[in-house]
Amino acid sequence: MPARNNEGFVVNANEWTPAAASIIAADDGIKLNEKHWEIIEFLRLFYKTHEVSPPSNRLFVKSVKEALGDTRGNSIYLMTLFPGTPAKTACRIAGLPRPTNCL
Amino acid sequence: MIDQSPYGTWVGREALDMAFSLAAFDQAVSILFTDTGVNWLRAFQQPNDIAQKSVAKNLSAAPIFGVEALYADAAACRRYGLTLDNMIEGVVMCESSSELLHQFAHAAFAG
Amino acid sequence: MALIHTLHILNKTPGHARSLQCMDALRPGDALLFTESAVLALATQQHPEIDVPVFVLAPDALARGLGQCPDGVTQVDFPAMVDLTAQAQTVISW
Repeated sequence: MPARNNEGFVVNANEWTPAAASIIAADDGIKLNEKHWEIIEFLRLFYKTHEVSPPSNRLFVKSVKEALGDTRGNSIYLMTLFPGTPAKTACRIAGLPRPTNCL
Repeated sequence: MIDQSPYGTWVGREALDMAFSLAAFDQAVSILFTDTGVNWLRAFQQPNDIAQKSVAKNLSAAPIFGVEALYADAAACRRYGLTLDNMIEGVVMCESSSELLHQFAHAAFAG
Repeated sequence: MALIHTLHILNKTPGHARSLQCMDALRPGDALLFTESAVLALATQQHPEIDVPVFVLAPDALARGLGQCPDGVTQVDFPAMVDLTAQAQTVISW
């Protein structure tokens, strides 16, 4: 299991594994299915390309919309998959750093 | 507007954060790089050994987040040997920064 | 290796007042080391007027997309930078 900070975020994104994702998700009471994995893979690719997490919920939704279209890129859909603050929950599970503008 | 070089301070990253936040709320926002700030736009930055993230890669997310344009002051680019060929994609060269500023309702310098 | 009289370590951008002051202070027998934002000097066509050895801290150049060094400039890593400072009789950090 990769090292995590006090908010549960993986310290080094390179140490993340799919197995770790399942464990982190379980902490949030989420059992990962294909829909989750689609978003997780999107976030991993996003981080590899831009070296930054989507900084807020709005920009998370916007980025997903840009890449995967309207059915995935809307806040209800992402809120259902990743309850709480979707950008935060999804980035935590995907092994990305904490989005800077999420409280 | 960013007129300070990358990696030296956090000023530029804060400006980037502000631009992204404005874009998040669907405000029309563009970023203009002037003076030593144009060095943000150089391609093939590899800051791994100084333990930082690439500002160029961060900037490549700007269009996705809804930032309308990345402008570069042409005179500053000439000074630092920058052409569209050795800069990141999607930069618009701007011959007159002062004229460009008049097209915006509000302009602010980083820092 | 020959001793360096004064090693000038510059971390300011080329237009910065202290950068200009540093260039004025160079004397024969000195050496100049660019670190941090000062490595951007490699991208401009301006060189010090006095002929002194010029070094650049490689990780800082690489970070800014300036890994290809112009002729006459020597790249150094952190251990080599320490060696340089040890060779210098005096060091000025600008």
